[in-house]
Amino acid sequence: MRVRRKLNTQYLYILPILFILIFILIIPAIYNVWLSLYEKRVGGEAVFIYLNNYARLLSSPVTITSLVNTFIYAFTSVTLKLLIGLGAALLLASRFKGRNIVRALSIFPWAVPSYVAAVMFWFNFAREGAFNKVIALGGFAPIHWLGYDYAMLSVIILNVWHGWPFFMMGLLAGLQAIPQDLYEASEIDGARGYQKFLYITLPLLKPVMLTVALLSLIWTMGEFAQIYLTTAGGPIDRTLTIPVAAYRLAFMGEANISLAAAYSVLVLPLYLALIFITLRYMRI
Amino acid sequence: MGISIFKVIREIVIWISVFLLIAWIIIPAYWTIKTAFSRPEDAWNWVPSMLTLQNLISLVAPTVEEYFRGHGIRAALPIPISQAIRNSFIVSLTSSLISVALGFLAGYSLARFQYRFKSSIEGLIVFSYTFPVFIIVIPLLMIYRILGLYNTLLGLAIAHLAYTVPVSTLLIRSYMLNMPKELEDAALVDGATRMQVLIRIVLPLSLPAIATAFIFAFTLSWGDLLFSIILISSPEIYTVPIAIQFFLWGGEIVDPGGLAALTLFVGIVPVILYGFMQRYIIQGLLRGALKYG
Repeated sequence: MRVRRKLNTQYLYILPILFILIFILIIPAIYNVWLSLYEKRVGGEAVFIYLNNYARLLSSPVTITSLVNTFIYAFTSVTLKLLIGLGAALLLASRFKGRNIVRALSIFPWAVPSYVAAVMFWFNFAREGAFNKVIALGGFAPIHWLGYDYAMLSVIILNVWHGWPFFMMGLLAGLQAIPQDLYEASEIDGARGYQKFLYITLPLLKPVMLTVALLSLIWTMGEFAQIYLTTAGGPIDRTLTIPVAAYRLAFMGEANISLAAAYSVLVLPLYLALIFITLRYMRI
Repeated sequence: MGISIFKVIREIVIWISVFLLIAWIIIPAYWTIKTAFSRPEDAWNWVPSMLTLQNLISLVAPTVEEYFRGHGIRAALPIPISQAIRNSFIVSLTSSLISVALGFLAGYSLARFQYRFKSSIEGLIVFSYTFPVFIIVIPLLMIYRILGLYNTLLGLAIAHLAYTVPVSTLLIRSYMLNMPKELEDAALVDGATRMQVLIRIVLPLSLPAIATAFIFAFTLSWGDLLFSIILISSPEIYTVPIAIQFFLWGGEIVDPGGLAALTLFVGIVPVILYGFMQRYIIQGLLRGALKYG
């Protein structure tokens, strides 16, 4: 009896957040499936249309475009963030004057909210903006940063600028966790600088590297604000990634909520698989 | 001799790298910072001919803002910016306070009790932490319409709990796992109730974690755009991410000074908050409490 009562009160502490997460995440995710099977006609009742929304999406070229764009966007961004983050972490782990200032400054791009970073880049992508001013110093003609040719590159630059400090912080913590005596021992054995990096630093840093890269991959594939505020998926679907495509289906053009719901259900396994791989890897 | 040449090369490489890193951080941010202090005619010049505080003042002083509006520079924005800033503060404060209060209870429960389904619940929290919310925004909108939460600041604050609750809970839980429990046990033996222990002993001891969780939660809510643009429709309750879009008209920036000042302000709030607790950020990262990379 006593045990029973104790159990009940213990659940009481966790119930509020459990209720919230179920209300905000789980129920909508299930409701999404239900929505995707209907069609809401203007001025009429919702009609059950079986899997018609899915059939439409699977035969639509926009589905493929958004998937391909998401992979290009996310993999390029994550790779660049990893390289810059690793370089910066190695730099900030070595000793030099003013290191603490550079370290504090390095967190700045990431501390700025994602959508604020996007607005800052309005000033950089503008015709008379910062980037064209900078390349003019090298004698280059101004570029249409958000035009068809450069739009993907531009949203990637924005994402990399905002996200690399996340890698830097994770990798710096990883570097500092490597025992110094490993390096000392290898020096006694006559190891050179690059050998120490290849055979000690990289292997020991690999778990942290994979963890931050996987987390970043999930979030980059889910990035909405940056693309929405700069190109909104355009020009002509050039930067149409999955989250922007879902928004576009729901609120622009024919503004078809059910079709957007079907689209979200269709891409969900991709994200779930990635999340499970990540959590399994992090052993959480 | 060979060693000193090696050292010189090392120094040069370090300084070139530091220079490149700083340039990479500063250049994309420079234009916003500079323009916030520029008059409209200087907006697209490298260096402003004179500095002005009018842009920043216009964020909080309606009379100065009236001047901008009167000259058609900020005409498209349906409400004063100060109102949008106030709305954002209300939402972020509400969401982070709720998440910290409930995260405190949940974190305590996860750190101290053993019960069935505990690992499943932990799994759900970590899962929510990584889950990209764009998937559930549309059904949430439909549910909000039914419940009357659509187009309310409270509804938006509740939606933001999807970001703030997992982070608060995980942070507070991991802090409490490292907290000695002897004091609590002693108080329980002396006849204190669980609630008394929680408020008199656990709460004061875990204040650092609560403060950190609050800052993370506030920043996550403050930085949201997706929920805001979908769950809010009336101008008088526009939050900053909605209002800021009125500064772009046909792809052109109108009122660059005002936009830059607003951007600087919304950007600097989390920067200052994180500045307070820089050393906790790395710990937070290791405890799986940071979002967005």
